[in-house]
Amino acid sequence: MAASMEVVNGAWDLATKFISPWNTEVHIGCEQNNFESATNILCDNGLLNLLEDWFFEEVQQDLRQRVSPAFWKFFEGLVPQDSVADKSEQNIVCLLQATEYLHKISEEYKPCIQLLESLPREINRNYSMLAFCGVNKISDVVRILFKSVVFTRASREFRDCVGQFYAQAFSVFHCVEHDETVNDDEESTKCSGCKHDKNDCACQHIMQRFNSINAKLDEVGVLEQVSGTSVTALVHEQILQHVENTCQGNFETAYLSSLQNWLENKVLGWLKLVYSLDRTNIGSDCIEGFKGRLIHFLLETYANVQISQLFKIIIEFPESELAIMDLKYCLEKVDMRSHLVTTLKSSLETRLLHPGVNTSDILTAYISAIRALRALDPAGVILELVCDPVRKYLRSREDTVRCIVSNLIDDASNELLEELVKSQPLIDETTHNEEEDGDWKKWMPDPVDADPATASKSRRASDIISMLVNIYGSKELFVNEYRTLLADRILTNFNYEIEKEIRYLELLKLRFGESQMHFCEVMLKDVADSKRINTRISEERIQKGEERTVDVNAMILSAQFWPTFREEKITLPEHMQKLLEEYTKRYETQKGNRTLDWKSHLGLVNIDVELKDRILNFNVTPVHAAIIMQFQEQERWTVEELSTVLQVPATALRRKIAYWQSQGLLKEEQTDTFLLVEEHKGRSHDSIVAEDEEAESAMASSHAKTGEELQVFWTYIVGMLSNLESLPLERIHGVLRMFAMEGVSGEITIDEVKHFLDNKVKDQSLIYSGGVYRLPKSS
Amino acid sequence: MKMAVIDPAENEVNKNIWIAVGTWRWVANDDNCGICRMAFDGCCPECKLPGDDCPLVWGECSHCFHIHCIVKWLNSQQVHQLCPMCRQDWKFKE
Ligand SMILES: [Zn+2]
Ligand SMILES: [Zn+2]
Ligand SMILES: [Zn+2]
Repeated sequence: MAASMEVVNGAWDLATKFISPWNTEVHIGCEQNNFESATNILCDNGLLNLLEDWFFEEVQQDLRQRVSPAFWKFFEGLVPQDSVADKSEQNIVCLLQATEYLHKISEEYKPCIQLLESLPREINRNYSMLAFCGVNKISDVVRILFKSVVFTRASREFRDCVGQFYAQAFSVFHCVEHDETVNDDEESTKCSGCKHDKNDCACQHIMQRFNSINAKLDEVGVLEQVSGTSVTALVHEQILQHVENTCQGNFETAYLSSLQNWLENKVLGWLKLVYSLDRTNIGSDCIEGFKGRLIHFLLETYANVQISQLFKIIIEFPESELAIMDLKYCLEKVDMRSHLVTTLKSSLETRLLHPGVNTSDILTAYISAIRALRALDPAGVILELVCDPVRKYLRSREDTVRCIVSNLIDDASNELLEELVKSQPLIDETTHNEEEDGDWKKWMPDPVDADPATASKSRRASDIISMLVNIYGSKELFVNEYRTLLADRILTNFNYEIEKEIRYLELLKLRFGESQMHFCEVMLKDVADSKRINTRISEERIQKGEERTVDVNAMILSAQFWPTFREEKITLPEHMQKLLEEYTKRYETQKGNRTLDWKSHLGLVNIDVELKDRILNFNVTPVHAAIIMQFQEQERWTVEELSTVLQVPATALRRKIAYWQSQGLLKEEQTDTFLLVEEHKGRSHDSIVAEDEEAESAMASSHAKTGEELQVFWTYIVGMLSNLESLPLERIHGVLRMFAMEGVSGEITIDEVKHFLDNKVKDQSLIYSGGVYRLPKSS
Repeated sequence: MKMAVIDPAENEVNKNIWIAVGTWRWVANDDNCGICRMAFDGCCPECKLPGDDCPLVWGECSHCFHIHCIVKWLNSQQVHQLCPMCRQDWKFKE
């Protein structure tokens, strides 16, 4: 039965009036029956669907033309966030009013929506808004329209208001909920939550308002839309600040669990207030989703902070072990390995790998890094990636092995010694042994960033000592250097007490094998034997009443087992020679069929020099002693004369004379003529501590040569610097090249000069700063 | 100037010492042991320490060897005990 057009038109007009919330003339309650009959007519004519479509169309228009402009008008002309803080209250009030307005509109829509929802619906209608939005209820579509129409834009003012609103609530929440930690500043008259005077605290009010605004936004269906960005930004900012404030600069505490607690209580607790307090339109999984993302963000932030200070953490290891363990956990959860490797690599390079850092400091840092990174990544991959440049750099420094060895036997730092004590025999990296197969159950895949060229076994097994030894690629080289250093120590200290050396040797034998250390063993035995022979010979002297003012003790060496000695020609004065011959005779009687060959230039002479006004005591080499003894006979010598008498080449002679000059005993009267200074008039040299300035290796070495040759120039350098105060390396090098004298083989390179000067800096004869060398101020 | 003259009062305690450095060697007319070919101033292959622990001995023929080397050699000779260098009867020089 078809109604007339007029009837249908009348029914349409009536029905649409009922579902027009913006039409205030309609009084829904009393004319309910009219609506029903009108919709019946529309239903009979198949127009109900159209009514629903019309409603959505009208709602969209209403929202666009009336609600949205009115809503955004609340935020016009507001002060931006970064100006006065007091204005934030004003902004929040705007947000409150705007929210209330939106909520009012939403409430006005409700009766109309209810009417519509009470109508019979064609199920599974295609092309409807419900189907389009994928929802079941008309109210759902309206919420979607609120979101999509009103919030297609967001003004900066609006975002500021929202941001301030949530920030304030966050701060108040922490003050109200967790006063036991925050309220440590009791002197302050301001409430730490609302920043009002304490007796005018508005926290209660703020929290109420906070809850009501959230609830209203939720009812409208736009809570996530309004809060999402701001809350996420706010929470991230809070996490960032909290992590930085907590963890920056302190590496001795584990923070992970306290950070996670903090996140759970203070951050998620607050988020629950926003999103899960009887919310109708927020899914229950919202907080869980937040939690997962925030834990990830927390770990990432924490890892970032730790990575940015990883160099310091490594240097502090093992005190920083807890920080390393935290970081290790983070790396398992968040993907930051490559960031870590890049950052640490570059901070190692900038902090360590340049000429200003001395080798032993680089080594110390390297050792710490090995330890720390091994704790961080037991597979050893990070260590390998990060430390490769350090190893390469150390290899380029000539004193590396020396530093390792001296670190090993240094009393002050026992760390390497401890390593040596606890370490096992050196694993030969080329042999693959069977037990690897037996351990297959414990096998772990290498991390993806591992270098496949290195066997994982060797990466895991190598300990600190082997890592250090392997800087040079061979233990022979290391052992050789140890031998040279041992030789040097014996022949500069002339200490016959060698218990400690024997102990190190025993440790090294365990480590490198008996055969490698065999030579060192003989060397130490030489010292012990020499001591015994000396004792016997001096007893003999006493018995026979043949004591002298100077007694010869000897260090008798087994030449085959010692490194090559540095050779130096000298003919000692006759009475010195006699003393040696006498010793040789006694030795020969003691040890049948054996005799001695003296290394006249090596050794240590303790002499007293009695001058007119003072007696000085010196510990010098026999060559130095021989030179000064010549001045006993005559007070003026030319270099040539001395050279003839002592059979010492002029260059070497000048260098030795320089020592006596520096001690104030000789002065150069005119070029190449030296005079004994019997008396000091005015200037006092009495307080000079006799020390052998140029304590040099007794062993032959390539660098000693240039050092020795350059020593000739030392007086020139001192002269230059006392006149000109300070000079850069290039200038010094230039002048020295001009001075290049006979006896200096070839061109002096700038590197050689630098090496020489740096040694002078090391023993404090020079100061290097600001790119120039200067003399230390004599106080 | 006087050198190395000590105040007599101090003489007892503070004596001037010269520590000289030298290397020892066997007084032999060869450098190497004719049996093991090692340096006399080193030690025989069986030994670790040279000198007292691995001494040389001379035969009446005036050839000398590491004691351990010649003893081993002599023990390996079934009939005659000859010097491995000159094939004369081996007799230890007194
Ligand atoms: Zn032999
Ligand atoms: Zn032997
Ligand atoms: Zn013979």
